[in-house]
Amino acid sequence: MEVTWLHLIPLLPLIGAAVCGLVGKWLPKSWVYAVALGSVLLSFLIGLRAFIGLGEQTPLFHELWFNWFSAGSLRVDMAFTFDRLSGALTLVVTGVGFLIHVYSVGYMEEDPGYWRYFSYLNLFIAAMMTLVLGDNLVAMFVGWEGVGLCSYLLIGFWFTDEEKAYAGRKAFVVNRIGDFGFLIGIFILFNQTGTVGIAQINSAVLPLGVASMAALCLFIGAAGKSAQLPLYIWLPDAMAGPTPVSALIHAATMVTAGVYMVARLSHLYVSAPGVMAVVAVVGVLTALWSALIATSQNDIKKVLAYSTVSQLGYMFIGVGVGAFFAGTMHLVTHAFFKACLFLGSGAVIHGLHGEQDIQKMGGLRKYLPSTRTTFLVATIAITGILPISGFFSKDEILGQALHTRAFSFLTLTPNGSARLTWLGPLIYAVGSFSAFLTSFYMWRCYFLTFSGEYRGPDSVHPHESPSVMTVPLWILAALSVVGLVLGLPQAWVHGTGLQHWTWEHFTEGVFSRPRGGAPEEFSPYLGYGIALIVGWAGWACSYALFFKRGLAGDELLTARVQGLRRALANKLYVDELYDFLIVRPLWALARGLFRVVDATLIDGIFVNGIPALIAWVGAMARRFQNGDVQRYLAVTALGVAALLYVFLVRG
Amino acid sequence: MDFFHAHQAQHYLVLAAMLFALGAAGVVLRRNAIIVLMSIELMLNAVNLTFLAFSRFPLVPNSPMGSFLTGHAAVFFVIATAAAEASVGLAIIIAVFRSRTSVNVDEFDTLKL
Repeated sequence: MEVTWLHLIPLLPLIGAAVCGLVGKWLPKSWVYAVALGSVLLSFLIGLRAFIGLGEQTPLFHELWFNWFSAGSLRVDMAFTFDRLSGALTLVVTGVGFLIHVYSVGYMEEDPGYWRYFSYLNLFIAAMMTLVLGDNLVAMFVGWEGVGLCSYLLIGFWFTDEEKAYAGRKAFVVNRIGDFGFLIGIFILFNQTGTVGIAQINSAVLPLGVASMAALCLFIGAAGKSAQLPLYIWLPDAMAGPTPVSALIHAATMVTAGVYMVARLSHLYVSAPGVMAVVAVVGVLTALWSALIATSQNDIKKVLAYSTVSQLGYMFIGVGVGAFFAGTMHLVTHAFFKACLFLGSGAVIHGLHGEQDIQKMGGLRKYLPSTRTTFLVATIAITGILPISGFFSKDEILGQALHTRAFSFLTLTPNGSARLTWLGPLIYAVGSFSAFLTSFYMWRCYFLTFSGEYRGPDSVHPHESPSVMTVPLWILAALSVVGLVLGLPQAWVHGTGLQHWTWEHFTEGVFSRPRGGAPEEFSPYLGYGIALIVGWAGWACSYALFFKRGLAGDELLTARVQGLRRALANKLYVDELYDFLIVRPLWALARGLFRVVDATLIDGIFVNGIPALIAWVGAMARRFQNGDVQRYLAVTALGVAALLYVFLVRG
Repeated sequence: MDFFHAHQAQHYLVLAAMLFALGAAGVVLRRNAIIVLMSIELMLNAVNLTFLAFSRFPLVPNSPMGSFLTGHAAVFFVIATAAAEASVGLAIIIAVFRSRTSVNVDEFDTLKL
């Protein structure tokens, strides 16, 4: 259904960003808060109203806001689509975004740059909504770059700190690699289909090679934005930004943009089964890789950052095995519990006056009861030891991976015999092991932070945060629990009112189905049992080591597997490897180019050489103008004589 | 044709060319401004001689372009101009001498930048 108010959702936060950023410095503090929070809240309410309006008759709202540009057969509109997927994402982004805005009021209270902060945050919401609602790839790309810009601005928010400014730059550069792939993907799709509209691309029939090429390029973009191997390195460093930013941008919303894009283009990906396999394998490797690193990090935000990378890996497993609903469901539930975890860690850091090292925490359950309870709920959700939101969404992904038929062109030879059938079960096995690790490191983080005795210096007195910060925590914790409704298996809710709320039922018709056909109905009980065992096993290991022994557990673990622990604590030396393989050669190349091209060619020949030549010609010419009239006359006479010779004698 | 006996313009023209070259050399080489002025007069008179030579021995006899007197008229103009030039030139030289106490032209090089 065509409507005319959809553009307000991104436009309102954009206006808020402009107001806060341009005149916020001179406005009273409360006005900045009112503008920043109000614009996001209005966006949320518009989104909510639209969401309620979705139904059988109106599966989607569409608005053609304006024609951005046209060139030849290319026509790019600023147009928005609000269907069940983008609608739900709108609610998540503006809803969680609003909560984090509220939280930020408390968190950034002391910071003199609060107006700048809220401007960036509003700009981020605007860009993210453009990304989510954009009905063509170019509009999506605008949002894609916009969120990248805001991410850069907010990571380097305290830019006077060299290291933080560097982290922002790193995020920007690494994302640029991915964006390059995204752009190439758009070019291929436009070249082959003649359109950049997502709906048109999804309905186009593309040859396998073209679809694979385009899908792979787009996935490179997704891997950059969503921090997948090998482009994940920027996300842990992105924790240099204020903690609410980590919660909003680097956990709940922006980093899931890659998953969203793949899910949005599900028809394209389904027509490229090889790329689906690549997506799933990259996802599972990322999930395992970063879960391993997370077990040995001591910075509470770093643990959560690697956890985010790992959970994003799960989402890519979901979309990679053709279970787009499972991947996006995990996206939504993850937004709830990971935002809660990050805001909880922010409350801890706030309460400890900036301390981020979990070795210097401990025993905080006494001092920060609200934070502790909400953090506990979110930890249960992510580790899945009790069946709340994260349990269902993660298990849905793994179950779908086990039974997938998405790689059927790989798994079935022309005569029908199976090959590569081990890929799905292997992904399941590795994913389950990563789930064990997830449970282990999250409980380690929880126990070291909140259990035992306080280990920090006596000069720091931990204190609970103001209610403007704890209320968003409670809401997010509640959502982490209620989110379980999304993931209830169809068999349990069939025929009841809850059926309409499950994500699988809700998004029916939005996604494509894998060509190999949906997996036959499988009973979830075995999967749930294994997931529970895995989750509790992780909890038990963590409990034995860190609840019983505290920090001594860490030492015990290090003593057992010394080399591995050191490698993991150093992030498996990936940064050093990239530094050696890419950064240094690039610097060397840049220095070489600087010397040869810039210093010698541009500066030496063009910039300084041409003026030097002119100066030389001038110096030569100046000798003729020495003020001696007789010399002038002599030259004139010689010239006349020469002319006479030429015209009279030779002519 | 016998060069020394033919009553044609050549003799006059060769003499005029010699006078002109002499004058030009004086203008270019001599330092004293008064001598330079005199050399200019020499060059002008060389030109006058040329005019008269062509007036006496026209290249195209009975040309409708002019009569016997055309060259003479031009010479009178040149003489008048030369007189004016000499008076102005001498006045300038006197003015320059008053300010610089010299009439050496190679010392007057303030024309350059």
